Amino acid sequence: MAILEAKNICKNFGKLEVLRGIDIEVNRGEVVAIIGPSGSGKSTFLRCLNKLEQINDGTIIFDGEVIAENGVYANDKVLRKIFKKMGMVFQNFNLFPQKSVIENIIEAPLIVKKEKKEDAITHARKLLNEVGLSDKENAYPCQLSGGQQQRVAIARALAMNPEIMLFDEPTSALDPELTGEVLAVMRKLAAEKNTMIVVTHEMGFAREVASRVIFMDNGVIVEEGTPDEVLSNPKNERTKQFLNRVLK
Amino acid sequence: MFLTVTTKLLEAFSVNIKIFFITLLFAMPLGMIIAMGSMCKFKPLSFITRVFVWIIRGTPLMLQLILFMYGPGLIFGYTGLSRINAALIAFVINYAAYFSEIYRGGIESISKGQYEAGYALGMSKIQVFFRIVFMQVVKRIVAPMSNEIITLVKDTSLARIIMVVEITQTAQNFVATKAIIWPVFYSGAFYLIFCGILTVLFGYIEKKFDYYRG
Repeated sequence: MAILEAKNICKNFGKLEVLRGIDIEVNRGEVVAIIGPSGSGKSTFLRCLNKLEQINDGTIIFDGEVIAENGVYANDKVLRKIFKKMGMVFQNFNLFPQKSVIENIIEAPLIVKKEKKEDAITHARKLLNEVGLSDKENAYPCQLSGGQQQRVAIARALAMNPEIMLFDEPTSALDPELTGEVLAVMRKLAAEKNTMIVVTHEMGFAREVASRVIFMDNGVIVEEGTPDEVLSNPKNERTKQFLNRVLK
Repeated sequence: MFLTVTTKLLEAFSVNIKIFFITLLFAMPLGMIIAMGSMCKFKPLSFITRVFVWIIRGTPLMLQLILFMYGPGLIFGYTGLSRINAALIAFVINYAAYFSEIYRGGIESISKGQYEAGYALGMSKIQVFFRIVFMQVVKRIVAPMSNEIITLVKDTSLARIIMVVEITQTAQNFVATKAIIWPVFYSGAFYLIFCGILTVLFGYIEKKFDYYRG
């Protein structure tokens, strides 16, 4: 049973059609990697799921609840309840600079979920341990490397116990050395059967971790299948062309 | 003589201080309302607000003082406004306009990503503004606000234009009536000390926010 269903998602910025009828179903425990050239609409699609961008047409259903139907989003109160169950990790981390690492992580559990502070802190420490940053709980984001900031951002999203994690090019702002530490954390999450949608340029990661790879170009899904099917034996010309360029 | 001058200047300076604090007290929140108006997505409102700010910032405070002193009487036949209250209204409106632009600049300088991170975590707009954005804005506006507030200390002397007795005029009176110059320097010392205290205070606040960058 699909936890996330997106049907016929259309989105335009003015006259520019960025998404032209995207259909995606994601099952529980699945890791879906979305790849494609810049401007293909992959990030926009991800951001439409939690209304950071608004779709013009299409339906999004998450865990049986309607996020948007025929291009119209549910009201904000309903959405906030649903978004609690969706974690998002951004390209630029977007940690709260005035808050320490642990404060970043407990913020939403405290004010959105109304958790008790001790519980939130205990949970946050466990998550920091998981992402390998136990010694940084009192540091501020500006004192951390990009890779460390991104791992904190992952912990912050996980603190809400999300049913799905959305990763929007999580390693694109990192140099290759730091990319590895973030991907390692994401591998661990995948191994723990977290449901994830990952928009990425890391073909190695997609091949190794994804249960399904979706290749997008020009606002449509061009090809979709197992990593082996899409990355090793692409059928579509456009996919072949793209992979030829990125893999060289 | 020294004692007389001191008493007179102190008395007069208390008016400057009064204008200073009351202006801050009302102009700071009013500035926030104006800032919200100028950032409003409802275009007519933001347009009107911006025109208002343009007029206030584009004309001399001295002119505005004169308007609030004589305007109510000559335009509406209302003469119940005291000199000091007319001065206060002019100061509050003038400074609120300047503050609103500082607030707006501060709020608009916060990256979109901060809001998005908050929304993605399920926070409401109000929660994002007060829990995430607000303190970051405060950090960014401390320096421009301190600049403006220190200017206000000295601007309070403009109230003399509508015959509000304040320190600069009092000092000038001594020059005119007693032919002595030192009360002018003496009155300057009042401003200097007061601004010195404010400078230290703002330095302290700025330091408080030094613990993070961004």
